[in-house]
Amino acid sequence: MSVPGWEKSPPARDYSVDELMVAVLAGCFRPGDQVCNGMASFLPVSAIRLAKLTHAPDLVWLAGAVGLEPRPGPVPASTLEAPLWRNSLMYVEQCGDFWTMVLNGRFLSKFCVGAAQLDRFGNANNSVIGGDFHSPRVRLPGTAGMGDMGSIGKLLYYWNPDHSQRSLVRKVDFVSCAGYLSGGRQRSDLGLEGGPELVVTNLAVLDFHPDSKHMRLRSVHPGVSVEEVQSATGFELLLPDGGEVPQTPPPTQAQVDAIRTVIDPHGMRRREFRRMRQRAAGGPKAG
Amino acid sequence: MKLKTLPEAAALVRDGDLVALQNMATQSAPMAMVRELIRAGRRDLGLVCLVGGMAVDWLAASGSINRFVGAAVSMEQFGLCQRFRKAVEAGRVRVEELSETALLARLTAGARSLPFLPTRGLIGTDLIDINPNLELLEDPFGGPPVVACRALVPDVALIHAHRADRFGNVQYEPTALWPDIGIMPKAARRVVVTVERVVGSDVLRLNPDRTVLPGFMVDAVVEAPWGAHPTSFNPCYGYDSGFHLRWAEAAAAPGSATEFLAAFVHAPADHATYLQAVGGAARLAALGRWEAG
Repeated sequence: MSVPGWEKSPPARDYSVDELMVAVLAGCFRPGDQVCNGMASFLPVSAIRLAKLTHAPDLVWLAGAVGLEPRPGPVPASTLEAPLWRNSLMYVEQCGDFWTMVLNGRFLSKFCVGAAQLDRFGNANNSVIGGDFHSPRVRLPGTAGMGDMGSIGKLLYYWNPDHSQRSLVRKVDFVSCAGYLSGGRQRSDLGLEGGPELVVTNLAVLDFHPDSKHMRLRSVHPGVSVEEVQSATGFELLLPDGGEVPQTPPPTQAQVDAIRTVIDPHGMRRREFRRMRQRAAGGPKAG
Repeated sequence: MKLKTLPEAAALVRDGDLVALQNMATQSAPMAMVRELIRAGRRDLGLVCLVGGMAVDWLAASGSINRFVGAAVSMEQFGLCQRFRKAVEAGRVRVEELSETALLARLTAGARSLPFLPTRGLIGTDLIDINPNLELLEDPFGGPPVVACRALVPDVALIHAHRADRFGNVQYEPTALWPDIGIMPKAARRVVVTVERVVGSDVLRLNPDRTVLPGFMVDAVVEAPWGAHPTSFNPCYGYDSGFHLRWAEAAAAPGSATEFLAAFVHAPADHATYLQAVGGAARLAALGRWEAG
C-alpha cells in the first residue's frame, strides 16, 4: 500500500540528514528486488519500508534475515529482534534456508553494509583497528554477514552517518568485507562479481569509478561544500566527469511525512547519529 | 532419563572444552547454564558463537574463556561487549573470526565427518591468510577458487529450547530458527539443553513438526524457566532492556563488572533466586508481554 500522491510530492523544506539518507537508500531498491537487513540497521530498515510505501511496493523484505514480509509497527529498538518481524509470511530458517537463498545468485542481490572503516576502493573493516589481529588496539564487533556478502556477487550499499577521516580511510586496517580490493580489475580477476555500488554518508553520496574502482563523489548534500566533504575524507576523492558536483536531491515532503509518522515515529534512525556524537565527545563507543 | 539439575549438567562441560553456545546478540542464550559455569569456576573454555552477546561478555569478565570462534560479538543496541573486547585487546582471548557461511561450513563439516566444506564467502578479505583453518582451494571442476573450511567439532553444545521430554527430545515453538540450533548440536560431541518446561512425551506427539532434536543426540535436559533471561526467547519473552543497560554500564570497568557478576551470578543460590534478584514475577511478566512493546 503506497503513500497517496507520493509521485507528485514536492521537495521537503524541513527535513534532517537522517531522512535524506533514508530517501537516498530507499532509491537503491527497485521493484522486484528482495532485501534483508542485519542488526543495528535503522537507516536501511527505514529505507526498505520507505521504498515499499512509495516506488517499490512489491519489494520483498526479509526482516532481520528471518521474517518474510512482516507487517511491522514503528521501527523498534532492535533490527534483529522479534518485534521487527511481526506477522511474517514465513520464518526463514537460518542454517539451511537463509544462506541457501543468499548464496543462490538469483535472490537477495543487494545488501546494505555499515562498518567502522571504509577505504577508497570500497573495502570495509569491522574487525580490528591498529596493532596485530591478535593484539589489536581496538577490537570491533566482527565481520558477521559482511564477510560473505562482499565476496558472493552482491551489490553493496554502504551507509555511514559519520563521514570523517576516521571512518573513510585511504586503506582499511583490515579487510573484513571485500570491496574492489586494490582497485582496477583485482576484484574481477579473483572471480568475484558484484561489489560496492554506493556510499551514503551524512555529507554526500559517493560511487566508484567504473575502471579504477576508486571512490568518487557523486553528489553533496544541500548545505555541504565539496571542500568540506574532501577535508572529512582520509584520501583524495575523484570528482564526477566534468568536475561539476551536483547536489543530492532532498527528500520529498511525502517521504519525510512517511518516515516521521508511519515508519519511524520514535526516531530510532537517529540512534546511529547519537552514537557518533558520543564517540566524538569521547564517550563510550557502541557497536 | 536425561533430566538433570543445572550443577549436574554443568559437569558435562570441562575445563578447556570448546563450547558451542547458542546466542544471537540479545537473543536466545542459555544464560542459566552460563551462570552455572561461571559459578563452578570453569577455566580455559573456548566459545563457538555465530553472534555472541552478554553471555560472551560475562564469560570474558569472569576469566572463564581463552578463545572465541565466531562471526561477531555485539549486544546490538547495547553496544560492544566491553569485557570481551578488553580481554581480546590484552591478548587474554584469542579470536578466530569467521564469516557466517565459513562458520556454518566448519560446523557442518564437523557434523558430517568431512575434513572440510567450501564456501564462496571471505574471498578477497584478510580473514583467510591469518587463519590456519581456512585455505583457498582450486575448484577441481575449473571454476573460480573456493575457501576450504576445516571441520570443527565442539566438545559440547549449550542450547536453550522451549520444551523437552525426559528422554531429551527437544521442541521449539514457531520463531526464528537461528543457525545455532540447526547445526551446533549436530556437530558437538555432547549436547546440554536447558528448556522452559519439561513435558511428557505425549505433549511432543501433538506437534512432531516442532521437534528440532531427537533424544539420542541430547545428553542432558534441565528445566530452567526464563532460562535465557536477560536475552529474549521468542515467542515467550523479550530481552530485558534495563538489565542489558545496567550490564553495559557495569562492564565499562573491571571492578564494576566483577561486582555485577557477584550480585547476579555468584550471590543467588539457584536459578529461582536469580529470577527474584532480577525483578521476580512482575518483571518477568512484563518481559512476557513483548508483543505489546
